[in-house]
Amino acid sequence: MYISDKTKEAATYDAIVIGSGISGGWAAMELCKKGLKVLLLERGRDVKHVVDYPTATLNPWDFKLGFNNTNKDKEEDPIQSTSYSPADKHFYVRDKEHPYIQEKPFHWIRGYQVGGKSLIWGRHCYRLSDLDFEANAKEGIAIDWPIRYKDLEQWYSYVETHIGISGTKENLPHLPDGEFLPAWDLNCVEKHLKDSIKKHDPNRVLINARIANLTKTWDGRGPCQERNLCSRGCPYGGYFSSNSSTIPAALATGNLTLRPFSIVTNILYDEHKQRATGVSVIDTLSNEKFEFFSKIVFVNASTIATTSILLNSTSSRFPNGFGNDSGQLGHNLMDHTSAAGAYGILYDQYSDMYYKGRRPEGFFIPRFRNLKDDENLGFKRGYNFQGHGERQEWGDKSRYIVNEFGEDFKAKLTTPGPWTVWMQGWGECLPYFTNKMSLSDKEKDKWGLPLVKIDFAYEDNENKMIDDIRKTSAEMLTQAGFKDIDSFRYTKPGGSTIHEMGTARMGLDPKTSVLNKFNQIHDVKNVFVTDGSCMVSSGSQNPSLTYMALTARACDFAVDELKKGNI
Amino acid sequence: MKRRDYLKSILVLGGLGVTSVSVFEWVKLTRHVDTKQILDKRPIIAELAEMIIPKTDTPGAKDANVHDYVLNIMINCASVKEQNRFVSGIQEIEDYASDKFGKDFLKCSLKERSEALKHIAEHAGFSTPILNKINERYLGTPFYPKFKALVVEGFCLSKPGATQALAYDYVPGSYEACIPLKPLQKAWATK
Repeated sequence: MYISDKTKEAATYDAIVIGSGISGGWAAMELCKKGLKVLLLERGRDVKHVVDYPTATLNPWDFKLGFNNTNKDKEEDPIQSTSYSPADKHFYVRDKEHPYIQEKPFHWIRGYQVGGKSLIWGRHCYRLSDLDFEANAKEGIAIDWPIRYKDLEQWYSYVETHIGISGTKENLPHLPDGEFLPAWDLNCVEKHLKDSIKKHDPNRVLINARIANLTKTWDGRGPCQERNLCSRGCPYGGYFSSNSSTIPAALATGNLTLRPFSIVTNILYDEHKQRATGVSVIDTLSNEKFEFFSKIVFVNASTIATTSILLNSTSSRFPNGFGNDSGQLGHNLMDHTSAAGAYGILYDQYSDMYYKGRRPEGFFIPRFRNLKDDENLGFKRGYNFQGHGERQEWGDKSRYIVNEFGEDFKAKLTTPGPWTVWMQGWGECLPYFTNKMSLSDKEKDKWGLPLVKIDFAYEDNENKMIDDIRKTSAEMLTQAGFKDIDSFRYTKPGGSTIHEMGTARMGLDPKTSVLNKFNQIHDVKNVFVTDGSCMVSSGSQNPSLTYMALTARACDFAVDELKKGNI
Repeated sequence: MKRRDYLKSILVLGGLGVTSVSVFEWVKLTRHVDTKQILDKRPIIAELAEMIIPKTDTPGAKDANVHDYVLNIMINCASVKEQNRFVSGIQEIEDYASDKFGKDFLKCSLKERSEALKHIAEHAGFSTPILNKINERYLGTPFYPKFKALVVEGFCLSKPGATQALAYDYVPGSYEACIPLKPLQKAWATK
């Protein structure tokens, strides 16, 4: 490809950000606000806030097939259809168009569009603590994190203040408090469970979920209207997404160029200068190839996609993938387990009470296992619970009132039933070298890029944890007087929690890690990776908040280094 | 511990159930079902749906066109096994009516129809959700619970069902966590 000097100038920016999801949106906004001219590349289509949320205001009866996926959906999207419904299908990729190879079953859930999965994320926001940052070193597992809580604390506050997160201060050392908007109230049955848990075990506590939905107007968005239809995109801006927040803020600076339909194939490397010079892109509308140039590159394509770009960026300096001197690139893939929990019914209590509105969250029971010492439970680390209480309504009643029909059945169906609680455990997944992704040397996608291969399985630690999750969830409900307890355990492949992380981990030693403590590639100082791929361990907390805090911190560092002439 | 033993014993029964399903049964459940075979059942589906959720002081299943919802789901979303169970389940009700009352189901009196549906409903599965759940895991959802679930879903998602039989709050605007139940309070239509 020939590029004239003039064209090259037009294709040159201060910074390129690859990916417009939750961390890429942050990178774009931070760099733009600091005065850099930024090119934000997104492989999918554009999704404009509000105008591109086609299902956001539909009523249930507007969906001809309810919320059921068709056989065609299930056949064409065997993976994505396990996560989407007709209400939000348009924010997921088509599996047929975006194949990957499962060496073992792994659900790679993706949203290729401006905003990425920030449109459909679970919105729970919890800080990691030193219990998490120190665990690998204390237990001799994988490698130590190169940072501690104090390194990230101010950045957590910084991003929380921007996002708007409802929650309560709890003074728990292992789940640090943040900057919170007022929390929603717990309902009757949730308070009942909270009191019971407190009475039975002082180590366990039920708190409000901390969630990126706005209980009051914030940053020109919201408040949340209690519709609980978040995954369709919110016309009120009631929850945080790249589309509702960071991308508009970046555009408002006048420094952002947003380029959808742009697949980054590889990062360009100048062996002489020992730095990245830009990226190669395929325009998916025209199939043309372009090159774009910049002083710094932020890779935020999402855990597996980011590492696939790095693995595909080979040169004589990096024959095994960009920045892969350690041989760790692609390894240590993690995903929380969320396969077990319990459901129970509290008969004959609070029967005269109900609720109004559909709060988009519920409760959270922070980790209580192995907090101080190893408790000899047969597994290391721990898990949290996320759940909610409600009265049985038609969905459950249809299952629970068996064999009946007619007027009596209709009367039962249309009146509030007994209070129930559903809760599910989110368990930490250890980083194993053997859990990995790589690129196929044979099979390619329609753009000629090698297919991603994923080889992932949970091990003994995760499986024993799942058993414990099942046990303690049922136990807490039993102690609180719940009956007909259904403690469940699903068979869920890796990826199902959509918390995939690792594959380009941070670390102090370039021999055993890909990124340094500022998310810089050890040997290519002008490339930063700040999405889930940088994670050294998984904690049990929902990880997006940490990606955002790491991104803001890395942007601050990168601009400082640029100013100093270090990169 | 007791609960665990209890569950184990059910699992053993479930296992026996699987081995007792003959190859013939399996073939029956996997053969192709024509769309027409399902569409032909529209009149009886409409009657059965109305029997499950009748019109009272609020609309019933027919008012909400639940039969069309059920047909659409069976044709577009159900697996071949579910389609086969569906067609044979309806057939079973029709057979019961003709054996017992000597006439078409649709020509039966309401009392006779109720008896036929009751027979099917009561032989549909176990009387507790947990046993049904295990049974379904090994043998697939039987006809009646599947049919009833679809009727309920079609009704409660419909405009008449959601807005008249249930309480529909399109944009709540606020959340009240614990409020006294109002007299004759209907359940919320959506979560």
